[in-house]
Amino acid sequence: MGDLAQALANLEEKKVYQLIDQKITEGANPLDIIQECNDGMVRVGELFSEQKYFISQLIYSAEILKQVMKKLDPLLSGIQADSAGGGKIIIGTVKGDIHDIGKNIVITLLKGSGFDVIDLGVDVPTEKFVESVKESGAKVLGLSALLNFTYPVMKEVVDAINAAGLRDKVKIIIGGTPINEQVREYAGADYYAKDAVAGVNICKEIYA
Amino acid sequence: MSEETKKLFEERLGRYQAAIALEPHDRIPIATGSNYFAEVYSGNTKQETIYDPDKWLQAEIKFCQDFPEVDVLRNNRVYGPLYDALNVKTYKLPGRDLPANTQFQFMEQDYMKEDEYDDLINDPPGFMIDILLPRILGELGNRGTGRSYIAMLKAGMAQAMFGGIMRNRGIVLEQQCGMPQPMAGFFLAPFDALADAMRGMTATFLDMFRQPDKVLAACDVLVQEMAHMALSVADPLKRYPIFVPLHKAIFMSPEQFDMFYWPSFKKVMEIIIDSGYNVRAYLEGDWGKHWHHMRELPKGRVLCDIDSQGDIHQAKKDLGGFQCIAGGVQDSMLILGTTDQVREHVRELCQTVGKGGGYIVSAGCSFPYDAKPENFRAMIDAVMEYGWHDKSIKAKPKAAPPVRTPEGLNPRRVMTPWDVKKTELGQIMGDENLIKKNWEQLETMAHTFMWQWTL
Repeated sequence: MGDLAQALANLEEKKVYQLIDQKITEGANPLDIIQECNDGMVRVGELFSEQKYFISQLIYSAEILKQVMKKLDPLLSGIQADSAGGGKIIIGTVKGDIHDIGKNIVITLLKGSGFDVIDLGVDVPTEKFVESVKESGAKVLGLSALLNFTYPVMKEVVDAINAAGLRDKVKIIIGGTPINEQVREYAGADYYAKDAVAGVNICKEIYA
Repeated sequence: MSEETKKLFEERLGRYQAAIALEPHDRIPIATGSNYFAEVYSGNTKQETIYDPDKWLQAEIKFCQDFPEVDVLRNNRVYGPLYDALNVKTYKLPGRDLPANTQFQFMEQDYMKEDEYDDLINDPPGFMIDILLPRILGELGNRGTGRSYIAMLKAGMAQAMFGGIMRNRGIVLEQQCGMPQPMAGFFLAPFDALADAMRGMTATFLDMFRQPDKVLAACDVLVQEMAHMALSVADPLKRYPIFVPLHKAIFMSPEQFDMFYWPSFKKVMEIIIDSGYNVRAYLEGDWGKHWHHMRELPKGRVLCDIDSQGDIHQAKKDLGGFQCIAGGVQDSMLILGTTDQVREHVRELCQTVGKGGGYIVSAGCSFPYDAKPENFRAMIDAVMEYGWHDKSIKAKPKAAPPVRTPEGLNPRRVMTPWDVKKTELGQIMGDENLIKKNWEQLETMAHTFMWQWTL
């Protein structure tokens, strides 16, 4: 792992910015810089799996990455982003629930692993999930929730995907605080992700 | 109140208090703090519960009649009209911003900015009224306008109305149904006060890395504010614990928890316990790495609600003999399971976690809205079959400990202390104490009102 990836994995914010500035001055390819940052984020995800990092550290790493992207943005205009290689993932918090912390952490980690994420936001109506699957051709649909009254809503989304004839085209992952195997079975989803890293790993499996 | 109802009330309260105190009692109490199931059981929408006190009370009376085995009912702290009067931006309410049958939801963001810590640390009440509240109470945003004055006046009146509603509700439930309350009064862990309505979670976590000293100083200042708020709205008879929902700890590493979350939280609890109250704490999420700290507090004074993500068996191992625990019944099982599954699950809980007492049956900090009524009944029936410790024990409600001011509590910081007012008045012609007492009481009430918006 490079210095930059290591600094990001260690959450050494100032050092990350210094290294970025240095690389920019030296004329490094911004896409290589992003790749190295992604390596660092993958390491952050691993540390989270090992319970050495917690949500607070994930949030901090996402913030550092955001600042890095701000620095790189001017250099990226004109360069074709290399997103074509990444598998598409649709994700959203289901109708009735407006919580997004968990969803946003998953998105940061997914992007770090090179996925092309379509974020539908919070309180997403069922039809919007269906439309998005239809339009994007994504192979993965992620449903997020914090509140336990959303069980029937998750089932409703799965049923609607079925009704639209899309069920064999997309794998559905559900995740969030109140979700467990019993809920997965009830909703008829393919997977339940017990945390953000587990969710990313399922996506990698599906696109492998 | 009839003799029979009085007896029932004392039996339930005695059982609840004894379980919390780790003292002998006859059976495992069925005593959740937030019984959302009771709220909807009788057919009210969630909007009706927070806007229509009569319907709310009728629903609860019906619940008490249909489930007489339940030992304490539920708590509620949202009164819609008060939130409307101020345009409280931190909440979305059923029937107003959300469909009438969706529960209220908390909206956090960084209302306080990263360079405003010193304002909070140096002058907490001034910070609240001048900086924070105008940002989270929409009607106060137009400072100095006639509309903003009227809004505050309406809010004060709505608060008094809500106080009356809660008092009446308590009396009716006690005298008509023999039903005690699970808790009265509330506070937040200082870190949560900062990370909920002030800075929001994301910003507070960044501050923890970028300006840790400011976060620590802010938590320290908030100890006094939270303790005063908790004590000023608690049950004067000290029958019921004071409630604290714990929000952000599960997102922190054990090291961060030990440094940023626990010390100030512990100080508030010590003040409350010194004042003769118990605490009922919702350990939200999986607290397995943090809950051992509860052993540092006096035994039997903090009822710990174990959330659905926590391991109730591990909680019993770690906290047994130190603090009473509540929980264990999986939310998803009450909502999705069958009566046979629930019965078997609760039997197992009674015979393992329930063994030796110090355990209260509940789901993860609440009974969920969408629990199937037959599953709720199956849970109760299982407790009535398997939840007995010793039928011969009749635990009596405890007498309130003598009133005293605990060591850790400083005089409350207020906008206009009596000394200032006294100077303004100059020569006082009659009995100064009569004026002072009422002045200070109103000042205290106003500050409790102000600080409640951190929740």
